[in-house]
Amino acid sequence: MIPELPSFNLPVLTLVTLTPAIGALLLSLVDRNNKALLRQGSLMISCLTLLFSLLMVANFDNSVGTMQLEESHSWIESLGINYHLGVDGISILLVLLTCFSMPLVFLSTWKAIDDRVKEFHIALLLLQTGMIGAFVSLDLILFYLFYEAMLIPMYLIIGIWGGRERVYAALKFFIYTMVGSLMMFLAILYLYQHAGTFDLPLLLERLRTTHLLDANQQFWLFSAFTLSFAIKVPLFPFHTWLPDAHVQAPTAGSVVLAGVLLKMGTYGLLRFSIPLFHDAAFNLQPLMCWLAVIGIIFGACMALVQNDIKKLIAYSSVSHLGFVVLACFIPNVETITGAILQMVNHGLSTGMLFLMIGIIYERRHTRELADYGGLAKVIPLFTIFFLIAVLSSIGLPGLNGFIGEFLILYGVFKVFPLWGVLASTGVVLGALYMLNMVKKFLFGPLVHAENRNVADLSPREILYLLPFVVMMVWIGLYPAPLINMVKPTLSLYVEMLKS
Amino acid sequence: MELTISGAEIVAILPAGILVVTGLVQLFADLGRSAEDKHSEKTHLAMIGVTGFLLAFAALFVQGSEASAGELYAGAMTDDLFGRMGAGVVIMTGLFSTLMAGSYLASRGSNSAEFTALISFGAGSMALLCQATNLISIFVAIETLSLAVYVMAGYFKDERAASEGAFKYFVLGAFSSGFLLLGMAFIYGATGGSVSLTDIAASDGQQDTLFSVGTLLVLIGFAFKVGAVPFHSWVPDVYQGAPVVAVGWMAVAVKASSLFCLCRFLLFTGGGNDLAQLLAAISVVTMLLGNLAALNQQSLKRMMAYSGIAHTGYLLIPLVIALSGDGPSAAASIPFYMFAYAATTLAAFGVLAAISVGSDRDQIHDLDGLAKNRPLLALGFTVALLSLAGIPLTAGFIGKLLILSDAIQHGFLLLALVGIIASLISVYFYLRPVVSMWFREPKSSFELVSASWGITFTVAVCGFATICIGLFPDWLIDLSKRSVEAILG
Repeated sequence: MIPELPSFNLPVLTLVTLTPAIGALLLSLVDRNNKALLRQGSLMISCLTLLFSLLMVANFDNSVGTMQLEESHSWIESLGINYHLGVDGISILLVLLTCFSMPLVFLSTWKAIDDRVKEFHIALLLLQTGMIGAFVSLDLILFYLFYEAMLIPMYLIIGIWGGRERVYAALKFFIYTMVGSLMMFLAILYLYQHAGTFDLPLLLERLRTTHLLDANQQFWLFSAFTLSFAIKVPLFPFHTWLPDAHVQAPTAGSVVLAGVLLKMGTYGLLRFSIPLFHDAAFNLQPLMCWLAVIGIIFGACMALVQNDIKKLIAYSSVSHLGFVVLACFIPNVETITGAILQMVNHGLSTGMLFLMIGIIYERRHTRELADYGGLAKVIPLFTIFFLIAVLSSIGLPGLNGFIGEFLILYGVFKVFPLWGVLASTGVVLGALYMLNMVKKFLFGPLVHAENRNVADLSPREILYLLPFVVMMVWIGLYPAPLINMVKPTLSLYVEMLKS
Repeated sequence: MELTISGAEIVAILPAGILVVTGLVQLFADLGRSAEDKHSEKTHLAMIGVTGFLLAFAALFVQGSEASAGELYAGAMTDDLFGRMGAGVVIMTGLFSTLMAGSYLASRGSNSAEFTALISFGAGSMALLCQATNLISIFVAIETLSLAVYVMAGYFKDERAASEGAFKYFVLGAFSSGFLLLGMAFIYGATGGSVSLTDIAASDGQQDTLFSVGTLLVLIGFAFKVGAVPFHSWVPDVYQGAPVVAVGWMAVAVKASSLFCLCRFLLFTGGGNDLAQLLAAISVVTMLLGNLAALNQQSLKRMMAYSGIAHTGYLLIPLVIALSGDGPSAAASIPFYMFAYAATTLAAFGVLAAISVGSDRDQIHDLDGLAKNRPLLALGFTVALLSLAGIPLTAGFIGKLLILSDAIQHGFLLLALVGIIASLISVYFYLRPVVSMWFREPKSSFELVSASWGITFTVAVCGFATICIGLFPDWLIDLSKRSVEAILG
């Protein structure tokens, strides 16, 4: 699909991963009062990263299902830790999603963040390196490093620039995530002692060819890894940190959190928990699927009764990501393809929703649904964009949200109709709470006088919302390029799980 | 008896010798100065100290004339890589403590040469302790370093907390020295009159009950020095009363030299499974109690005291593994962890010194808004706290990685699990100062912290070193491994 490009033999993945961090270092030299330069600088850096990620796509071979663009260097030799990066169909879309959203996030904060601008941009850039690094790491310790490295900037973003209860929310976020990741750390070390390597491809090979782990060991290791990822997703009942974090985080924080960070959990399940310990994953399949289904329905029901718009979207994330977890544990080509698309689509639609709530919050300083109503006539442009995001989120055919959910439900129905039926109720409930929210938020009578003079979208706001809409429509109408990218990897993946 | 001193013997005591001379020069340089001088910063003392410590550090790289150091001074000490690494930690800590001492003490109106001289003298005996290989030299080195530290703990002699802490420290310290000496006497008796660690290791008296009791008593003596539960109760009180700089110095150097010595002692004498079990129990209790008690502290000094206790717990894990027989090489985590801990802790105490310059602020809420006023100090402290909590990309993470992976490799799953749970608890209280510094607004009465260049330099260098060791730990791990292999032969 993309014309042949000359091969530069560049370490593309390193470039994509480290550009934001190097940019953050450069920004630290900028005078803190020069806010314009800080804002433009981080926008440029994130655009450069996006450019490198497109270079990555250009060098990515769609016909190959194995790891590509690999880079491997010895790093801490005495501990057997390597700097091993690689990308395949599972990770490439998530890297792209990250690189795509960050410039838009930066653009969205030009007005919203005016306090400690320098620290904010540095934190966001470091966060970006952490996220991309975690997606492309093929060494368990390297992955763990990036996985943890994301935690601190996000913690600071919630804690410094967040709402009234920000300290509580930040601490809750940090501690919850730490519980999981420390258990995973222990499991990684245990795995190393038994398999003798931190290298993921090598590890998969060794675990498959020789039976290094008995059922009991597999169970505990799987539990440790999965606990960490389940907290991150978040899977019911580990979700309680999410509404707090989302509501308290500044807009940019919510967008990154919902758009990319949560995917770290489902990505981890797909990349580590399930392939490394697939016997245990198979044994625990009923439990995990029940939790996923409960999450889908519970999240939707909670969303139904929320008065705070941000909280509503937060609970809708619990519901939407429940689909992804369900798909991960009923692996066939349809469900896994659906899962990956759903991750991307959720990132787009929820990211855009959070951005738009941020826009209205900047104008009215409230997120209570009761404070709104009848806005459609006042801000028609805003209403149109918001409706597109909502429709994409509830999976209207023709927009991006449809294809992922459809593939997942189709794949699940083929194998376990019961779970399929239960999960489908989530789709119905999704439409219900979303449209209900739109009704209270934008339509109906204009009761509050303050709402009469709300300004419509500014050109800058349109500029960063438009790419989202373009992607939504494009993926909705023509998802083939994305599916082609992931397909070879996924057929190999599913085959590997079956053997 | 003819007394000859070989070249290797001179080289072996070169660092310690330089440090003692440095201390004397500092004392003489301050002679005849008036009492008002106690408010001045006395840069010359710091300069003498820095020169001395740098020379001593350079002396660590001087190779003896004989290729293998072997036994020096009739087996009283040795000059191996392990000892030199221990001395290296002590010397670096002394260097930074000296740098920080001047402005801090001057602001309290009690800057005199004794303080820096005591650091130098103490460092000299600690360097010897790391190299000591017989019971007598071990005891003498411990006593001399303790004397220096007792005085430093009570340096603000007009303050109640300082006197209380110093007195407690002294009484309990004397008590623990008694245990140590008694234990040594038992070992001496059980092994038929040997004082050298090599002879003890070779003797067949190890099966004797007397020997076991002796080892246990020695262990108690050391447990007191490193602040392991249940011999830890002095730590918070002493930390609270002592000058911040002295606390940083004690927290790192006393712990490092005692642990290096204990490690050497246990690697030589063995001690069997029972002792390993006992040590494992101490380690578990120390980790948990240290971290749990730190949770609720309002005073940063007390928090750091309990955090120090908890880190002693982590540091005992390699010893447990080493004692259990199949993995003496696990002791290699100790030199590494001590280096990482030194860099981290010094950065932290640099910030504590900075905020308590001129006043006695050491509450967590005194840090409120520090990131706005002094972003570099706040960054340094944050790095240090994250490293203490074992968050990746810091030296503390690699240290924990080494210890935990050895524990898992040798089947100490329970220890590893407790270690992980303990670090999880610790995350909570290490984040409290971070919250204060970054998330809270400075109080209206908040005066700008005026950190001296010595303190700022310490925080910057140690913070940077913490990250560097976290990113590129290979050389240090390698060095630590070789140093332990050198002892094991």
